[in-house]
Amino acid sequence: MKIINQHSGNYEEIDRLIDRYYEGLTSSEEEKQLRNLLSRKDLPESYKPEQVIFGYFETKKQKRIFMLQPYLRWGTAVAAIVIMAFNLQVFMPTNASNYAFIDGKKTTNVDDIKMHALASLNNVSCDNEEVEKSFDSLNDKEIMKEQLDAFSGLAE
Amino acid sequence: MRSIKKYLVLMSVAIFGILQQLQAQSDLQISKAFDQYGERKGVVMVELTNEMLDGYDFSLFKSITIKDNPTASEFIRKCLAKDEIGAKKVKQVISNGIPTSTYLQLPHKGQLFRLILFSETFKPESKITLIYIESKNDSEDVLKLILKRK
Repeated sequence: MKIINQHSGNYEEIDRLIDRYYEGLTSSEEEKQLRNLLSRKDLPESYKPEQVIFGYFETKKQKRIFMLQPYLRWGTAVAAIVIMAFNLQVFMPTNASNYAFIDGKKTTNVDDIKMHALASLNNVSCDNEEVEKSFDSLNDKEIMKEQLDAFSGLAE
Repeated sequence: MRSIKKYLVLMSVAIFGILQQLQAQSDLQISKAFDQYGERKGVVMVELTNEMLDGYDFSLFKSITIKDNPTASEFIRKCLAKDEIGAKKVKQVISNGIPTSTYLQLPHKGQLFRLILFSETFKPESKITLIYIESKNDSEDVLKLILKRK
């Protein structure tokens, strides 16, 4: 079947390519060229069937509109949950729990627990006076003052 | 839109879960020592909250005493070395070239002062003691009181 196009002037090339297309003679390069030519907006209505064939109208996708408002609302909700969880973690007092594990066995007897707690405190307290004295002298502010005093003569 | 809502709800639940996890584990490496060795044989682990202890007002007191366990000793020392990085003050007692006692004053947690005390003795038996304290009192004062107990 041969369809003859009746366009003239500037559309000769399009008509030629359309004829070749319907005759099944176009190369892939020519089809590409035809597709480009048909995508022009200033084409007469008579080219509409070819434009439809080449999917010009179909390829026009609707632009997605980005709506910020729903994201904002849900984002605020998430932020509120996070802040609430953080506050719970930081400001809530630690749950009261008194227990001890002795050789793998749990006890909740407060007297026993305190006895073991005091025993552990005794273990870390100073064994001799020398160490105790060294800690007494470990006043950082005094040390820093002494060190700074050493440099005070330089300013004169 | 529905998938976004689902995603946001899931995310908030996940964040909440992570925060809870952080709270449970604490920010310190030594918490691993309590978790790992606390319930073993030859170990005494204590936890006291908001209790008066021989005149001390501790918001939280945790201690662990481990006997004859060089592996635990090495592990705790490694944990301490990491916690030392974030400490405000570090005090150590070194005996024969080995740090036998370590005292770490940590940054505040809210209004609470935090302290880590570690001691290792070899005579008459090998014994490690690790203590974690949270108190409203100045950690310097708490430390002085503890060290002068004997």
